[in-house]
Amino acid sequence: MNGKLLSSFILRPLRADPARTALTALAVALGVGVVVAIDLAGAAAAGSFQSSLETLLGRTDFEITANGGVNEVWIGRLAALDRNARYAPFIESRIVIDGVGTVALYGVDLFAQEKVSFQGPAAPSDPDHAAVVSSALAARVGLAEGSRIAAFQVAAVVPAKDVEFLLLDIAAAQKALGTYGRLDRIDVTLSPGENAEHVEREMRALLPPSYTIAKSGTRGEETRKMLRAFRWNLRVLSFISLVVGAFLIYNTISVSVVRRRPEIGVLRALGAGRQLVLWLFLSEALMFGLVGSIAGLGLGRVLAEGVTGLIALSVNALYTSSRPAAIGLSWETAAMGLIAGTFVSLLSALAPAREAMRVEPVEAMGRGAHEHAARIRWRRDLAWGGVLAAAAVSCSFAGPVDGKPFFGYLAALLSIGAAAMCAPALVLAVTGLSRAAVRRCFGAEGMLASRSLAASLSRTSVVVGALATGIAMMASVGIMVGSFRETVLVWLDSQLRADLYIRPLGRSGAGQFPPLAPALPGLVAEVNGVEAVDVFHGLEIRYRGERATLGAGETEIVRRFGRLRFLDGDRDAILRSLQGADRALVSEPFSNKHHVRVGDAITIPLGDREASFTVAGIYYEYSSERGFVILDRATLLKYLPDQPPTNLAVYLRPGADPATVSAAIQTRAADQMIAIARNASLRRDAVVIFDRTFAITYALEAVAILIAILGAANSLLALVLDRRRELGLLRFLGASPRQIMRMIVLEAGFLGVLANLLGAALGFALSFLLIYVVNKQSFGWTIQFHPPLGLLAAALTLVFCATVAAGVYPARAASRLRPIEAIREE
Amino acid sequence: MKVELRNVSKKYETVEALRGVSLACEGGTVTALLGRSGCGKTTLLNLAGAMDVPDSGEVLIDGESTASLTEMQLTVLRRKRIGFVFQFFQLLPTLTVLENVELPLLLAGGRGTEGRARERLAWVGLDEKARAMPHQLSGGQMQRVAIARALVHAPDLVIADEPTGNLDTASGERIMELLADSARKFGAAVLIATHSAEAAAVADVRVRMRDGRIEAVDPS
Repeated sequence: MNGKLLSSFILRPLRADPARTALTALAVALGVGVVVAIDLAGAAAAGSFQSSLETLLGRTDFEITANGGVNEVWIGRLAALDRNARYAPFIESRIVIDGVGTVALYGVDLFAQEKVSFQGPAAPSDPDHAAVVSSALAARVGLAEGSRIAAFQVAAVVPAKDVEFLLLDIAAAQKALGTYGRLDRIDVTLSPGENAEHVEREMRALLPPSYTIAKSGTRGEETRKMLRAFRWNLRVLSFISLVVGAFLIYNTISVSVVRRRPEIGVLRALGAGRQLVLWLFLSEALMFGLVGSIAGLGLGRVLAEGVTGLIALSVNALYTSSRPAAIGLSWETAAMGLIAGTFVSLLSALAPAREAMRVEPVEAMGRGAHEHAARIRWRRDLAWGGVLAAAAVSCSFAGPVDGKPFFGYLAALLSIGAAAMCAPALVLAVTGLSRAAVRRCFGAEGMLASRSLAASLSRTSVVVGALATGIAMMASVGIMVGSFRETVLVWLDSQLRADLYIRPLGRSGAGQFPPLAPALPGLVAEVNGVEAVDVFHGLEIRYRGERATLGAGETEIVRRFGRLRFLDGDRDAILRSLQGADRALVSEPFSNKHHVRVGDAITIPLGDREASFTVAGIYYEYSSERGFVILDRATLLKYLPDQPPTNLAVYLRPGADPATVSAAIQTRAADQMIAIARNASLRRDAVVIFDRTFAITYALEAVAILIAILGAANSLLALVLDRRRELGLLRFLGASPRQIMRMIVLEAGFLGVLANLLGAALGFALSFLLIYVVNKQSFGWTIQFHPPLGLLAAALTLVFCATVAAGVYPARAASRLRPIEAIREE
Repeated sequence: MKVELRNVSKKYETVEALRGVSLACEGGTVTALLGRSGCGKTTLLNLAGAMDVPDSGEVLIDGESTASLTEMQLTVLRRKRIGFVFQFFQLLPTLTVLENVELPLLLAGGRGTEGRARERLAWVGLDEKARAMPHQLSGGQMQRVAIARALVHAPDLVIADEPTGNLDTASGERIMELLADSARKFGAAVLIATHSAEAAAVADVRVRMRDGRIEAVDPS
């Protein structure tokens, strides 16, 4: 293509209209920025499971784990195998240290670690009290070799700037945690030349079948797999901003084509081929795509800093404990951002560019003819809207693909397309029906504003479509989150029936169950005012290669005091059937994820045995999508007799004061680091965690809305520039600058109303898809439909006001036009 | 109404559009400005129509200088006392014929405007086209609608810039007759710019312009 032609035909007009050029590029930059930020932040949150400690301890070949812990006697038996391999014990937990807070605690065979050197005066004389600390912890607390932390003396400080941990010898760790004889895993490291396959086979023959032997790194891979649906959903949400941006590119290129139809006609008359015209306009989109994407990469890198914390919060609350890794803009992410931005730009410009290509040399006409064609096409567009909506409904009935709600998202995309196709009909219907009322309420300015929007039908429809998509995204996610929140509140009410809840002090995330002292339940039960204590044991297990939570409690107490809600069946009968029997409850996400129904048998490796349980009931659960299996406490202890309690639910006698009882428990358990939460505060905390978890979705919506509003401003500015003559004429006919301004602001208001109407309708449709298709297929839980109408009304009003505000700058520009010049341009 | 230009000059960047022009138009008379393109006719119309102010000299409307008026006062002046007719009709394509005629009244915040608009449409012979859209009219019809619009608020001054420039001869004659009638029937001062001597034949006063100056006035 001729560079000179590109420069004069495309670049010069872009330079001449810097505000619109910048707005369009900014829209692409924001869209790409969000996509890149979510990708980077997701990778940082998902890629941080190889801790600095693992790096420090070096490579291992296999990890031996078991639900409920590995018996340490197997280390000796494995060592007896005639293989050149090292078998190292490993414990991982968290402890609370006075004045320091919660710290990750690892137990290893400290003195076998080649990479930790103990030299100099701090070399430990008593291994039971020696500790190695990470440099991050040392720096925060002010530790050095020889100083003390809790009951331990710092024997060495190892470099690990991004994570705080305390490394103890295995015996010391078992003592500190009260888990004598039990390990979290055995790490197997083969000597060079040793045959991994043979070793694995021999270990498999030796170890109980309930033990899992996995290649190292499997855990990280498992975590990444577990997070895949979560990251996928976030990624799809992030692409909505780019979709909204696509509307704007379409709009900008359409305006460009409409404005330059006469020029295109001249070009064609002078011998330009259709392909040249097509490429000229695609080049314009390419330029927006490239410039916007490059700016978006930088923006995304900056945004990722803020987003990572939010995503890590969700990951910790819903999946597994992690610390965000460092954020790095990889070539892959940069290429993905660039390709996404330019591809979306080119794709959205294709239709207007093709329209430009079809301009005949003799057809160098103005906007009127083009808009007339748009008016004729609205019926066809409406019909297409119907077809797309029908396709969306069909897709919503399809099941997940590889665990992902692929068809759910396709249905959402088709719905957006359907809404966009219905936009012209909506614009014509609303402006037509409101004609008399608008003139009565807003006079000449209202009449002109309404007619102008209907006259610029193609452009108005695109802006309404873009804005409506942003609004719909906001409304649908708002409805989904609001419904989810309401569902969780109802669930919390049925789930949290005890007066006090006790757990070990300190932070803990999903999948972490630090133990309570075994004597604690007895102590608590003796406190005056306590009616009953439900002793709960939680532990992370693997079921069919995926992580889940196994819990056990006093089902008789739950039956008497609780209100656990089941999908089906009689609550009392289900809970009674569990007592002392090999029967289990499963949570709804577990049931959906593993296709387990009432009456099915599930086999769970527990300790050295494989235990089989019949599913007695499926209960509603919203705290984690990992899934729960709940046993009666007596049943769990039958298989894992030493399993420590992890939580206590305390029911008080009528009239007993929770504060007094709580204080009494604290006094009796003064030597134990426990946290006691009252019912109300636990519910409050749960709601706070819920709100924090969904903060990221609100941030994504805000960006989509911002892009759409930029689009409204962009379009109104284009409208003003295109109607200079008309605006000039109005001044000749006696309109004041204020009236011109009012007219443009009213147009912005109409755009806001139209977009709100379409956006709210689309939003409700998308919320059904999110709740009943996407969420159900991704996470497995049933959300009751509870639209937060007040919040929605407030949000729609806010968007409307923002749209009107977006019209102020174009309105001021319009009011400042010099009428003589505007008229003379004719 | 009396519009008077006293020794008026106007320059656009390097181009001197008007050079010391003096002219007076009285109510009930038709004044035609004749001359080639670029001779200053449109600039003179803009100054007389209070759309612009001179660099030097004065434009007096009923003795008051337009330069002394605020933006809002100028707007009100145009809204109430001046009507414009353009070469390319300048009807708003999104409004019906009737709404186009009503527009100046609506912009002035008037109520019950439809009746007056219909009267003017009837006067130009297009009452049956009230609900039509501009693109459904011929060029001559469009210009008649433009004249109805210019007269709907009973202005004291009607300014027409090349009103026949885009019309065939028969339509042009009809338009000029209507403009002349508007002076006679409504007592408006009508100021027309044209380069057609035939069109100027209906005028009471013909002013010939050249290079921003008045060359001759007939009758002098």
